[in-house]
Amino acid sequence: MFNKENEQINIKEAETIIGPSIKVKGNFHGQGNIIIEGFVEGSIKTDKFLLIGDKSKITANIEAKDAKIGGEVNGNVNVSGYLEINASAKIKGDIKASQISVMRGAQLNGQIIMGKNEEKK
Amino acid sequence: MHIYIYDTFVSQKKNNSTIIKIETRITDLGLNGKIVRLSMLSSLGEVIQNEIKKGAKTITVVGNNNIFHNAINVLAYLKSLKQIKADIPLGFIPFGKENNSLALGLGLNMEEAACDTISARRIKTFDLAQANDHYFLAEALISSKGTSVNIDKNYSIEIMGQGEIGIVNLPILSKLPKEIGSNGEDGVLELFIKTKEGNKFLSFPNKNIKQSIFSFKDLTINNKTKKVLLDQTIEIAPPLKINISTEKINLIISKGLIF
Repeated sequence: MFNKENEQINIKEAETIIGPSIKVKGNFHGQGNIIIEGFVEGSIKTDKFLLIGDKSKITANIEAKDAKIGGEVNGNVNVSGYLEINASAKIKGDIKASQISVMRGAQLNGQIIMGKNEEKK
Repeated sequence: MHIYIYDTFVSQKKNNSTIIKIETRITDLGLNGKIVRLSMLSSLGEVIQNEIKKGAKTITVVGNNNIFHNAINVLAYLKSLKQIKADIPLGFIPFGKENNSLALGLGLNMEEAACDTISARRIKTFDLAQANDHYFLAEALISSKGTSVNIDKNYSIEIMGQGEIGIVNLPILSKLPKEIGSNGEDGVLELFIKTKEGNKFLSFPNKNIKQSIFSFKDLTINNKTKKVLLDQTIEIAPPLKINISTEKINLIISKGLIF
């Protein structure tokens, strides 16, 4: 489980919240913190923090500064800062991150590239 | 000159004593001006346009949500046509017990007591949202059933549960979480989706309401059967393009109004 205290702080600061009954299709790009508890198909990009809840299903490439992933992700994950992967996470795709932590039980299928994450120009 | 425009129902005989109290208070505060009583045959738009041409400095409407919402629309429309200066403030004296949710949300006092707010003349400029040709100050509401939403031409939203969709400019009718920071002055709108999650194991609906929030500048909304309710006043049929208008509105508001 995510640290409850941290999660609460993030919810308070979230610019966008995608609830569990919501499906977003398309290129979802934000500048603030994003919390996803629902479904997304397309691409997700934010300059800040991204939280993908345990029951969410994402079919998208993801870019974020920092992220916590607890749900199902089909797509590449590109995090310039710290990526935390929860025990319930299922990720099919390549992962790039500067720092990473993976909890026991998480399912990862893809390459993991660590270190300084250079943005493509 | 101060212009006071009374909605049709305000001039009914049963309201005479309240009207006298309001007019006495206006006189006591030195805010005397011209009173225009709307009738079934008169148009609020024409009245406002004529009075501004004659040099009105303040327009104050007396009535409920209907005349307040309509006056905002008239002023915004006239501004869009460059027919009036942008700085004419709109005052509002809420009248009657029904249909005054906008006044309540703005923290305005009712009837006679509202005259003191007009006198204090605290003017604040708010964004207006636009749904096709209609302007609204607070929010647009529609049922989520059968509604499709496209935001900023980048992504679409599908709502799988039953509930309500709100597009909020100024959160005086629907209360948004404070952290979202919606205030009617930031040049963005908030899409607010409330869904009630059903629970098949219980004999009664689960009251746990799940919320989703998106900020946006441009949105299209469609529904073949349901209409969109603007400012709890007027219903209009989709498809609608909703965005922040280039026109703003100057409102005379209560000192205690805090978002």
